[in-house]
Amino acid sequence: MDLKTDVAQSPVLDRGPADVPSSPRRKLWGGLTIASLALLLAMAFFYAPEDANQGAAQRIFYIHVPSAWIGFLAFFVVFVGSIAFLYTGKRKWDDVAAASAEVGVIFTSAVLITGPLWGRPVWGVYWTWDPRLTSFLMLWLIYLSYLVLRGYVPEPVRRAKYAAVLGIVGFLDVPIVYLSARWWRSEHPTQFVVEGGDLPTKMLVTMLVGVAAFTFLYLYLLAVRVRVGRLRARAEEAEVAR
Amino acid sequence: MSLIAPAFTIAGKDLRLEVKTRDVIASVGLFVLLVVVTASFVFPSGGEGHEGTAAGVLWMAFMFAALLGMGRSMAIEKEDACLEGLLVSPAPRESVFLGKLFSNLGFTYVVELVILPVFIVLLDLHPGAGAWVVVLSAFLGTLGIATVGTLFAVMAVNTRGREAILPLLVMPVSMPIMVAAVKVSEAGFLGTWTSSTTSWALLMVGYDALFLLVALATFQHLTEE
Repeated sequence: MDLKTDVAQSPVLDRGPADVPSSPRRKLWGGLTIASLALLLAMAFFYAPEDANQGAAQRIFYIHVPSAWIGFLAFFVVFVGSIAFLYTGKRKWDDVAAASAEVGVIFTSAVLITGPLWGRPVWGVYWTWDPRLTSFLMLWLIYLSYLVLRGYVPEPVRRAKYAAVLGIVGFLDVPIVYLSARWWRSEHPTQFVVEGGDLPTKMLVTMLVGVAAFTFLYLYLLAVRVRVGRLRARAEEAEVAR
Repeated sequence: MSLIAPAFTIAGKDLRLEVKTRDVIASVGLFVLLVVVTASFVFPSGGEGHEGTAAGVLWMAFMFAALLGMGRSMAIEKEDACLEGLLVSPAPRESVFLGKLFSNLGFTYVVELVILPVFIVLLDLHPGAGAWVVVLSAFLGTLGIATVGTLFAVMAVNTRGREAILPLLVMPVSMPIMVAAVKVSEAGFLGTWTSSTTSWALLMVGYDALFLLVALATFQHLTEE
């Protein structure tokens, strides 16, 4: 398993950013993100009907739910990227995993911020130890520790391996965290948690537009961060070669 | 070559070192005692439902003990390139992992068993036969923490943060086993085993088995240069 091949094969190390081409797909994702986010905003405020019980506060769900979906997707990509890295030893998989973890932490943070903003007017509390909330908090903490670990290992190959192991362990832990949070909670009486139930069509369509918009945003940010990762790797290698 | 025999050789080496220096047992044992005594002061003792608080305090102490012991045990291997020596030995990588796991688990568990009666007396608990449940939960819980911890300790010791980073890696991932261990220990202190206690105990077994497999599968990647 030779991890340095892709670097060793590049003819000149210090050629600069132009050497790492900007992916054309990145521009596509960027354009789609702007268009779909604008559509989402318009739909969330003017197309989707007001919730009879929750009022305007319910509209935050068009950001909250897509963020949660992207959180899971991002950490699933970290998991897949980590396994692929350990299996193939190709640095690009580590770039993808690292980028996805960064973006995933951002979206999970958005979930943890928008959730309480909604919870206060609707549940009456900012926070409750509901299984989903608890799981997201743990998910967020696990991937923060993933990013901290990366920051503490200067050598790129070692960093990639360590991060990959944590990426695998962390993801496999998530279902157990959810299960334990559910059992833990079921032993204490807790307030009634509003379930999604049957969404009116207009709300559902808006939610789906939100999911699509956030998926584009995720792909765009992923492409940007992967490129940054490659540039950083190039800079590190140039530093070593000097 | 068998996996288990070299693992016991490596754990035996740690045991002989421990018998000579008494580093881990002394520092970790005193540390756990201090955590337990401090906790007895800062948490209200006695009263209805104090078994739950006691179980929580006990497991915070056990977690800290495990972290301290595992960090120390791997730091020893880092000195004079002992870990490299183990890795170039004919023992399979999995055995190196299992060896360190056995010694981490063994030392932590021994400290826990010594501290448990003290804890029961200090916090005025009356578990009766339930004490055996606590002994069981201590084993299952410590096995899970030590499995994840031994894997991460190899990583932590090679980072810029050294052992300081170990808790940051271990604590988030061990939240489910901590909750389960606290629940089973609480049942033990109360002396009541219910169907939910069975679920929690099974969750610990599942957690231990899953991460033992993951650790055995990934350890070799951490140790190849």
